[in-house]
Amino acid sequence: MTGRAPTLAEAAHPFTGFAVTLAITLLAFLLPAPWGPTLLYAIVLLLVMAAGVGRAARAAALICLPLWGFLFLLHAVLGGGAHLSIGPIAVSRHGLELALAQAARLGAVITATLALVRSFNPSRFLDAVGVRGWPFAPAYLLVATLQAAPRLRERVGRILEAQRTRGLNYHGSILVRIRAVLPLALPLILGALTEVDDRAMALDIRAVNSGRQRTPLSIPVDHPADRIVRWSSLLLVVAAAAWRLAGSMR
Amino acid sequence: MTSAIEVSELTFRYGGDSASRPALDRVSFECHSGAVHWLLGKLGAGCSTLLLAVAGLAPRHTGGELTGSVRVLERDPRQDAGRQALAGRIGYVTAAPSLQLSGIAATVWEEAAFAPANLGWPIERIDAAVTGALERLGVAHLRDRDPATLSGGELQRVVLAGMLALSPDVWLLDDPATALDAAGRQIFADLLRGEAARGATVLVASEDADQMLEIADRLIVLENGQLAADGSPRELVGGEWIWQHGPGSTAVAALARAAAALGPPVASLAEPYPLTIREAEARWS
Repeated sequence: MTGRAPTLAEAAHPFTGFAVTLAITLLAFLLPAPWGPTLLYAIVLLLVMAAGVGRAARAAALICLPLWGFLFLLHAVLGGGAHLSIGPIAVSRHGLELALAQAARLGAVITATLALVRSFNPSRFLDAVGVRGWPFAPAYLLVATLQAAPRLRERVGRILEAQRTRGLNYHGSILVRIRAVLPLALPLILGALTEVDDRAMALDIRAVNSGRQRTPLSIPVDHPADRIVRWSSLLLVVAAAAWRLAGSMR
Repeated sequence: MTSAIEVSELTFRYGGDSASRPALDRVSFECHSGAVHWLLGKLGAGCSTLLLAVAGLAPRHTGGELTGSVRVLERDPRQDAGRQALAGRIGYVTAAPSLQLSGIAATVWEEAAFAPANLGWPIERIDAAVTGALERLGVAHLRDRDPATLSGGELQRVVLAGMLALSPDVWLLDDPATALDAAGRQIFADLLRGEAARGATVLVASEDADQMLEIADRLIVLENGQLAADGSPRELVGGEWIWQHGPGSTAVAALARAAAALGPPVASLAEPYPLTIREAEARWS
């Protein structure tokens, strides 16, 4: 325990984060490009900062940066149609709009997903599932999937350390790095496969498949604000879908 | 004493190769409630496989082919009905604590409460059982810590506490003291004796003769997948036989054996070897 107060994202009901992330993902593709996704990304940035998971925005931006550059090059610089000048370069107007829309979609979805992963508490989520009387096994599978990335990162760190103490050099020229891939990747893959078996046995013996309704260890409070946020997310998605549908029928 | 584990003509082969040497070859024995049974064998003798089969995890999770009969508390752990009936009644712990975690617990308390919660126990019962188990394993002060921040020894105690919270009728332990420090090993020894005194059946695979000699009521030795001996631990590990057919004996016995090999036969160095420092003092002073 860190002893710090939970952030807004951590204190919220576990289903709220999922609902908001899902809504953002759908809205990113439903809202009219390019200004809909761009505005959505701006709102997502404000939301994650207000929810206390602003670091997710920075991490997402770092992931997106090369993709944004690629999109700009592909659509704006190499795109056809009417061109406009941005400083010394001429870019396609239509391509720029396309790049902006796709970049904003990527940014919004990745930021929201990272914020969800960073504020996710697997135990609270499974407790919330238990309170609803929903089956444990699929929920555990979802949790395990969300936990896979940090666990893999931790394993990579351990393997890097272990192989370095055995004299493996993975710094330097591209050739040195390529040569180091196999001794790093092989234990990672084989270890992960073995771990799946061991973990499956450990879960089995811990009565995961007992067929009985799991007892929630601490029932997460579902505040009215949580319910309002979830219903609003749903309504926004439905409204955006209806608007798009109506627009396409005109 | 009643038989809690009955193994009869158990043969197990990993993979589909029927021509290969089986990991277990027509093994038969019984384990009684209220006793600690020590399972001993050289590397590859089949001890871990035997525990997996008794727990109902092999061949279901490992693959392979199993013939013969395994009954735990009069149920077949290989069948669905048997597994359902045995859920929470078997405590199975291996040497690697990090691989036995639920992966979802934010605190040590939640980790230890994972199995009782899966069994649908009322929260009051879970709290009492888990708190008691953490105290007994000496890790109650860690109850709010993130399991990911614990040392291997602390983690193993938490895993043991999680099993103890279930109050299992049968303990199946595969080298569980490896990660433990000296204090942890003493707690572990007390735990096994206490559980046997409660009436539980304990079957523990370990090469630590020094510790197991103090705990075990009976020794079962496997060699190349076959039952090589079944009897009193003191008698079996005191002689030369265990050095030929098993992984060896206590540190004091190893010293006595090495001394005996150095010179002409001397009565004070002859078999049975002294097993403890006290026995060596009594014989050599």
